[in-house]
Amino acid sequence: MIEQIAQSLGKYMDVLAARQELIASNIANIDTPGYRTMDLDFQQEFQGLLDGEGLPGIPLEVGGLRINNDGNDVNMDRELRLLAENSIRFSAVSSMAQQQIALIKSAIDNLQG
Amino acid sequence: MSLFTSLSVSASGMSAERTRAQLLVENIANAETTRTPEGGPYRRKDVVFQSDNVGSPFAGILADQMNSGSVGVTVSDVVVDQGEPDKRYLPGHPDAGPDGYVAFPHLNPAEEMVDLMGASNGYQANVAAMTSIKEMLQQSITLLK
Repeated sequence: MIEQIAQSLGKYMDVLAARQELIASNIANIDTPGYRTMDLDFQQEFQGLLDGEGLPGIPLEVGGLRINNDGNDVNMDRELRLLAENSIRFSAVSSMAQQQIALIKSAIDNLQG
Repeated sequence: MSLFTSLSVSASGMSAERTRAQLLVENIANAETTRTPEGGPYRRKDVVFQSDNVGSPFAGILADQMNSGSVGVTVSDVVVDQGEPDKRYLPGHPDAGPDGYVAFPHLNPAEEMVDLMGASNGYQANVAAMTSIKEMLQQSITLLK
């Protein structure tokens, strides 16, 4: 059971990392004419990973954002919000994973003692 | 598809914004320049940004292909303004023509300043992204301890 939890945590981190990459490229292309904001369907990607499908995730164009005169629709506030959210999620999940590892370690220690 | 690729993406954004800021500063510095090696007044320069695949330096071609979603940015071209220079009537000026008019660069320092603020904000956003990616990588490393 512990192994399963650890695996799910790892997959969650994979999706977060993939999303972080898209956020980074949105921010890098904040002034590129014609560039459209990319993101992934978080729930679908995570479910796909849990069901055993592999990465990479499918990036999708985000609709409904205001398009500037140069055809670019990157919204800096949206990206910075997602950036913050993503790294908080990652930090939460990584400390959960750390706890799982500590649990396994303590089980091993008890066996020895 | 890894956090290290994201670092390259943010780095490409930082370098593109820095190039843009450099040209804007050059434009501001030369707002009143009437002599250049090419002859005539200084001409305004501007960057053209283009999306670009930036794989991590260690990634192979296959990995680059799979990274189709995340793209960095590159300065694909530097455009030199070919418009007519501004003419000002200054008969005493050493570069004045026979009619007494001097050709000055056709650029507005206020516009350059506003663009410079945009470049600086873009740079900051890229730095924020890179900082947060670095934190994520660091957290993954602590899992090993």
